[in-house]
Amino acid sequence: MSAKIPRNFRLLEELEKGEKGLGAEACSYGLSDGDDITMSDWNGTILGPPHSVHENRIYSLKLTCGPNYPDAPPDVQFISKINLPCVSLTDGKVDKSKLACLDKWKRDFNMETVLLELRREMATGANRKLPQPPEGTIFE
Amino acid sequence: MSLPKRIIKETERLVSDPVPGINAVPHEENLRYFDVTVDGPSQSPYEGGVFKLELFLPEEYPMVAPKVRFLTKIYHPNIDKLGRICLDVLKTNWSPALQIRTILLSVQALLGAPNPDDPLANDVAQRWKEDERAAIATAKEWTQTYAKPEPEAET
Repeated sequence: MSAKIPRNFRLLEELEKGEKGLGAEACSYGLSDGDDITMSDWNGTILGPPHSVHENRIYSLKLTCGPNYPDAPPDVQFISKINLPCVSLTDGKVDKSKLACLDKWKRDFNMETVLLELRREMATGANRKLPQPPEGTIFE
Repeated sequence: MSLPKRIIKETERLVSDPVPGINAVPHEENLRYFDVTVDGPSQSPYEGGVFKLELFLPEEYPMVAPKVRFLTKIYHPNIDKLGRICLDVLKTNWSPALQIRTILLSVQALLGAPNPDDPLANDVAQRWKEDERAAIATAKEWTQTYAKPEPEAET
């Protein structure tokens, strides 16, 4: 069995990956407060997938990594308004039971896993033509 | 999960033959993860402070360096706002001949010898070069504010 990397060093790795831009081009993420030594609050963006109503849209999200991350999944909330079955229409929170990677979270998943899966959700046959709120609107 | 003999030996020696001014205790549930305190060296702006750090020995240790980060806020040109440390022996100059104790001694030595020419915290390094006295005064203030030793626990 391999060494279990503690939360903080895992988050530092994710931060470096995000800073260097090694992650997938379709999404990005970074610390929302560069002074926060607990590294709890993150900003994410997802570039809407092609051949869908989301094409060329940029979605902003908040991700919160609690003290038990990565044993427990992050809390994820859209800032940009979006119509997607796993996302609350009132506040943009992602329903953990409706997104497979959050529902069946594994320790080696990371924030990129979540952002990429959300992007795939936007592109599924059932979701890619869902009517969307005007571009650029945000959840209050 | 079995722990390599080398790590067990190093941990035992940290306890039986501790380095003055340095304390490293492994977490019970993760013996590769240490809570560390380092006393600020005398004659430095960090004198009198006790700095908390965390240290992790990756799977590949000792072929790769331990990962070390400050948890206590510190004003130092080679340590950034998230506590990340710019130190050659943690990066390119790591050698498996080094150990947890030598690395922590190097970290302590770095506190005694800030190097603004190889900065990680650019704003701090710049101030260090432009007005060293003021920078040292700030480092002392931060030590007083953030690195106060915890009172001995009463038994």
